[in-house]
Amino acid sequence: MLARNSTYIAGVAPAAVLLALFFVGPALWALYSSLTNLALVGIDAANPRFVGLDNYTRLFADPDFWTVIRNSVTFVVGSAVIGQFGLGLALALLIDHAEHRRWWLGTLAYGAVLLAWVNPTLIAGFLWVAMYDFFFGSLNHVFLSSLGASSVDWIGSFPMPAVIVANIWRGTAFTMIIFLGALKTIPPDIYEAARIDGANAWRRFWDHTLPSLRPIAALALLSITMSTFGTFIVIQTLTNGGPGNATEVIALFAFHTAFKSFSIGYGSAIAVVMLGLNFAFAIAYLRWSRARA
Amino acid sequence: MVEGPGVTTRAASRVARTAAAPRGASWIEALAVHAVFVLVVVFFLVPFLWLFTAAFDADAVAYIRFPAAPTLNNFVRIFTEHDFGRALLNSVFVAGSTMVLDVIAVALAGYSLSRLEWRFKSWITYAVLLLQTMPLSATMVPIYGLARALGLRNSYAGLILIHAAIELPFLVWLMKNFFDNVPRYLEEAAWLDGRSKLRALAEIVLPVARNGIGVVAGLAFLAAWAEVLMMIILIDSQDLKTVPLAFYETLRTQGGYTEVQYGLVAAMGVLYAVPVMALFLMTRRMMVRGLVASSRGL
Repeated sequence: MLARNSTYIAGVAPAAVLLALFFVGPALWALYSSLTNLALVGIDAANPRFVGLDNYTRLFADPDFWTVIRNSVTFVVGSAVIGQFGLGLALALLIDHAEHRRWWLGTLAYGAVLLAWVNPTLIAGFLWVAMYDFFFGSLNHVFLSSLGASSVDWIGSFPMPAVIVANIWRGTAFTMIIFLGALKTIPPDIYEAARIDGANAWRRFWDHTLPSLRPIAALALLSITMSTFGTFIVIQTLTNGGPGNATEVIALFAFHTAFKSFSIGYGSAIAVVMLGLNFAFAIAYLRWSRARA
Repeated sequence: MVEGPGVTTRAASRVARTAAAPRGASWIEALAVHAVFVLVVVFFLVPFLWLFTAAFDADAVAYIRFPAAPTLNNFVRIFTEHDFGRALLNSVFVAGSTMVLDVIAVALAGYSLSRLEWRFKSWITYAVLLLQTMPLSATMVPIYGLARALGLRNSYAGLILIHAAIELPFLVWLMKNFFDNVPRYLEEAAWLDGRSKLRALAEIVLPVARNGIGVVAGLAFLAAWAEVLMMIILIDSQDLKTVPLAFYETLRTQGGYTEVQYGLVAAMGVLYAVPVMALFLMTRRMMVRGLVASSRGL
């Protein structure tokens, strides 16, 4: 096997080195340092000690950790499952429908959703900082005041919904595009047959459209769950986890632990938990996509 | 071509489907759908409307208003007062070098993986996909430690290597699929002519797969241009500051969000976002297909 493939193995080498250095290496290093008391500064920075599973017992006993997990779940359910998935599916159905009717406003809506997605994430965060601003944000100063309503402290009073809406704005395009692609692969004769059988539009939708979207829906859901679970930039720009720790999700928690409290060992334990959960999702994703192939 | 019949069927079914679409939509349905579209367009475009008006407003505020006297003053100021030219050059250099490195590594690896004959080959593909789903926000702390240990912080080499690595799993997987569709007899003929495998790849196979190389180059450049998390943890030298860092700094270092100099930040935002949007819109079809296959967000 070696002799026949030696050129090809050499060809994989540069990419393999980069992946080993910056993907596999850091993951293994996180695993290792999570078992030590490594710190960014001080004595523990120079001479880290092996502490076994101390970081993990401390983490699971830390009430902040469970708050963070609850925040992460709320954020994922709100912005990925309900928001990006629900809105993305609804938009795909409407835009597909509009295409058949030749309503051009559907194309404009498609472009608008797409634009928010290709836009750098950091800008998405900043744009919503401006939208939510208490004194001069567009939501209060233009929208609410034109309705004659008084200003709302969006980020102060509704921090979690605020970051969820910003993330829905940023990421809905992904599921929308996936579903639009899937809708185009449904053979039209299914609908024709159903119409001849006298099924109305709702029946056709429930009996034919939705079932044929189910396999791709599971993949899209797993995929956006993984990417939403790791969300960092949008939340950091908008609230940096605050007020208090109302929007502190797991990625921010790991970052703050490592770079504000300077405890790398403890921060690594959080990273390992993240990687573990992500790994579980990824395995489910691969099994599902292999079952389909 | 093998795809021929499939393409025809699909085209035919599209025609059939359009023809079969119910006619005579009720005006209530039309009104409802259009109302939803208007709401969607407003929701998704209003933040951009603000960005593009504020950038040309000498005393921009956080809310949308059309500048009384549109001016380029903000753009002049970010270059004269905030050294934005330096940031632009750094970003172009880092994204450009990342692109070159990625194209080379991805062409070699994608081609090799495509041609490799090994029992566990499918496992490599799954491993690559698995790496693709690893969130950067989980590994940023170890990457920070690693970069510090290897002296890669505050260096162009570090920025380029790490950004090249970030997109690598997905791009390798994408390119392998492209090469799988290039027939082998092309390169086999070149070998018979006495070319080495590397020359056959460069002279015969790559030109055939140039669309794939184009997608890889575009995605590698855009990703390195837009990425910010690694920039934040790797760079604190002013000389190495890139566009997202200049943007981030101007946004964060003011005393609280109410004192943000919105005009300046918006001007930087326009120069940060417009290249991405322009390149994306120009190559929309290809990019959408490519980006859909990549699922990692931030």
